[in-house]
Amino acid sequence: MSEQEYYVPHGTYWPIIGSIGISTLFIGLANQMHGVEWGGSVMGLGFAILVFMMFGWFGQVVNESTNGIYNKQVDRSFRWGMSWFIFSEVMFFAAFFGALFYARALSVPWLGGADNNIFTPDLWNAFSASWHQMAFLAPGTELQSGTVMSFPEVPATGIETATPAMVVDPWGLPALNTGLLLASGVTLTFAHHALRAGHRNQIVGWLVATIALGVAFLGFQVMEYGHAYADGLKLTSGIYGSTFYMLTGFHGFHVTVGAIMLTVILYRVQKGHFDADNHFGFEGVAWYWHFVDVVWLGLFVFVYWL
Amino acid sequence: MTEIVVVIIIVAILVALGFGLIGMVKGGREGSDKMFKSLVTRVTLSVLLFLLVLFSGYMGWIEPNVVMVDAPVAQSPAQK
Repeated sequence: MSEQEYYVPHGTYWPIIGSIGISTLFIGLANQMHGVEWGGSVMGLGFAILVFMMFGWFGQVVNESTNGIYNKQVDRSFRWGMSWFIFSEVMFFAAFFGALFYARALSVPWLGGADNNIFTPDLWNAFSASWHQMAFLAPGTELQSGTVMSFPEVPATGIETATPAMVVDPWGLPALNTGLLLASGVTLTFAHHALRAGHRNQIVGWLVATIALGVAFLGFQVMEYGHAYADGLKLTSGIYGSTFYMLTGFHGFHVTVGAIMLTVILYRVQKGHFDADNHFGFEGVAWYWHFVDVVWLGLFVFVYWL
Repeated sequence: MTEIVVVIIIVAILVALGFGLIGMVKGGREGSDKMFKSLVTRVTLSVLLFLLVLFSGYMGWIEPNVVMVDAPVAQSPAQK
């Protein structure tokens, strides 16, 4: 392809297939939410169409690339396209971290009567401002850890006592998961180095390690959710529960997508699609993984520690 | 004090990640070099930050946000 000619396919049916897939997916979702019987299946069909489109469309782009019909200007377009996608991702997570900061540092203290604002404790006299506001557990509720909630009486006074039970402990799974994800950042960096040095076998090994660490992270995250949920931390557990699940849930979704993208890159490495100088597909996915890694580090520091 | 250091390192990580993005958009050997070096910096700083947070927690310089279930006493069945 000459440097002057910018490759554009003459005709493509993938965009219309994508539109049909998304429409089907959301028609199914909306009906599912309204309790319609066929909602779930239509949603699944829409998802299947979307996956079909991704395989087909992305596969076609990969073929065009390996056939050498892209010039430098097309390469620049891909790079700018990726940067705009990243910009939207940064804004997405910035909004959620912003929500965390706003709720924790401003709105909850205001509701508790801090400052001289119009919000006063008179809103509801039983309200006490607490970031980790949790739902009360009914007596007899058994926690996953085997403990049972009860209202014992202090013998001398006969007054019910209240001692909290630990639900989320930063020293446990969150610290382990941070270690796993950081290790995946290190292995990915080794893969990146091997690619730039032209050592294909090493790239494969480091990429497999990166994907395995990502999958292990997801597995422990599922365990952590099960533990927290069983112990009473839910989406409905006040503002803390909402922001906790929103941030960690969307992050987990991004790790899932990143692991799928890394698997595709692994396949492409084995097929010999990249060399030391031309590997934008790898660079895009690597940056994405580093970004998702940094988001988790922010979560670990701001949600669990500071 | 520890909190300030932690926040400074996080900002440095974001800057390194940003430089990595600039390198990626630039492309070519030069851009690729810039991207790789920035990402190595970001990984190194991240590991440093993780160790700092754990060490600070261990030393008691920062307190973890341990989430507690409000109110009733938790009693293990064995205690009953």
